[in-house]
Amino acid sequence: MSETKTIRTDYLARVEGEGGMVVRMRDGEVTEVKLRIYEPPRFFEAFLRGRLFTEAPDITARICGICPVAYQMAACLAMESLCGVEVDGQLRTLRRLLYCGEWIESHTLHVYMLHAPDFLGVASAVELAQTSPELVERALRLKKIGNEVMRVVGGREVHPINVRVGGWYKTPSKTQLEALVPDLEWALEQSKETVRLVATLDFPKLEMDPELVALDAGGEYPIDHGERLISSRGLDIPIAEFYDHVVEEHVEHSNALHARLRERGSYLVGPCARYALHRELLSPQARAAADEVGLEPLVRNPFRSIVVRAVELVHACEEALRLIAAYEEPAAPAIEVTPRAGWGHGASEAPRGVLYHRYRLDDAGTILDAKIVPPTSQNQKSIEEDLFAFVSTHASLPDEELRLRCEQAIRNYDPCISCATHFLTLDVERT
Amino acid sequence: MTCVIGVGNELRGDDAVGLAVVRALSGTVPEDVAVVECEGEPVSLLSAWEGHARAIVVDATQSGSEAGTIRRIVAQDGPLPPSLAGSSTHLLGLADAIELARALHRLPEVTVVYGIEGASFDTGTGLSAPVAAAAERVAAAIRHELEDGR
Repeated sequence: MSETKTIRTDYLARVEGEGGMVVRMRDGEVTEVKLRIYEPPRFFEAFLRGRLFTEAPDITARICGICPVAYQMAACLAMESLCGVEVDGQLRTLRRLLYCGEWIESHTLHVYMLHAPDFLGVASAVELAQTSPELVERALRLKKIGNEVMRVVGGREVHPINVRVGGWYKTPSKTQLEALVPDLEWALEQSKETVRLVATLDFPKLEMDPELVALDAGGEYPIDHGERLISSRGLDIPIAEFYDHVVEEHVEHSNALHARLRERGSYLVGPCARYALHRELLSPQARAAADEVGLEPLVRNPFRSIVVRAVELVHACEEALRLIAAYEEPAAPAIEVTPRAGWGHGASEAPRGVLYHRYRLDDAGTILDAKIVPPTSQNQKSIEEDLFAFVSTHASLPDEELRLRCEQAIRNYDPCISCATHFLTLDVERT
Repeated sequence: MTCVIGVGNELRGDDAVGLAVVRALSGTVPEDVAVVECEGEPVSLLSAWEGHARAIVVDATQSGSEAGTIRRIVAQDGPLPPSLAGSSTHLLGLADAIELARALHRLPEVTVVYGIEGASFDTGTGLSAPVAAAAERVAAAIRHELEDGR
């Protein structure tokens, strides 16, 4: 005789945005794991059609309050590649600096406010603020420094308004950027402390072996751009061939698209993939921080992604300092971009992984078609596979503990579900 | 020193009502009142009210009551009611920001929240009629509150 039990939470908090997950078990065996995503009708892709190519960065920045820069950069790069313009030199330095600001604020938010509470046995960042106020104070200041970089370079903290196709509306002075240095130096030291802190956490056991996919930015750790998409299993393609290799499919339980590699299956994007593929390109202090805590070059336990995220936080702070030191205010804030008819492709490394944009323009620069593939939709299959493996090996845990661990496992991916979804619920059903 | 903060996402229908209220107030309130638009992300909220003795925050709610319902809550009285706390489209949102600030002693001495019940939070621009009307009433109430200095 089998016992029927259903555990239901109607809300998975601490994931940016909203979504849902069902885990079904029969006699202690997992029978099904479904990530259920309610995707708003592809509102933004429709909203972009008929707009001018110059409007895409500002419109797509609105998709996510946490990673607007990722959207702006991917949109700019797509338009520029189509129109035969390359934004380089100091104009690009500023783009990478802006993006470092986004990495600092996004990684800090996730590591301290969203993910650490799972490991530290507190319900939320609010409870953490009561038990360890010094940690939350540190997180708030780190995040504020990221926001400040975005404000100085991007013109605004949340949705930078200074970014345009071809460069910037206005470039900051060297003095303005140098004013950020003391705070960034503090942030660099604190980010190293963050690595030390998260490396000592207690990690649930799980070992996965997904195909790891990241951009290749030709000799630098990929952040603001990348011409090629590479993987741990030999994929190496120009980003213009993204859709030749990635299939987006509707699955019955979700009205969002799940991405997989053609004839290969699920794959993983994000910090663990970038770190595995580009570890040697990390800034010196980021690599030293990883070495100091003995972080393995290939992180197979998804729960250890929090350590990789902290290492990337070190990288973002050190890289921001390097970029500021090298900055000279350019003669012109932007390169003129004349529209052309055709297809444009752009990709950048959002804090949570590769973000790909594709646009078709007419010769007046009107957008005829837009496709946006956010990192979270690429990771959905991996999240399901992790949960399947985790629940299979931890089925004896009490229901409440199992539910909490499943939530924690989902948060390993820092899923920015607001990019793709509505409300997130988690159900564990035992039959 | 007072700040008025409108919280919302412009492209999520009635979620934008907080922004609509502060835009209506902008330029019509005393000069020493800071008027701020915010997505509802806690650190930005904490920064926005930092150094202010009084904060007035306007956000959309999704509690199941009639669209356009206005609630005025004083955060010093306790946490936001559960029916409002989980209703934001931003999961670490206003209610979390208030509790974080309370725990870290960063809550302005007087923190007033105006909640306006939304009808639709689907992607799209523009407010529904009852919510737009409520936005005007809340803007007037805040102007009154600022004049009274209460």
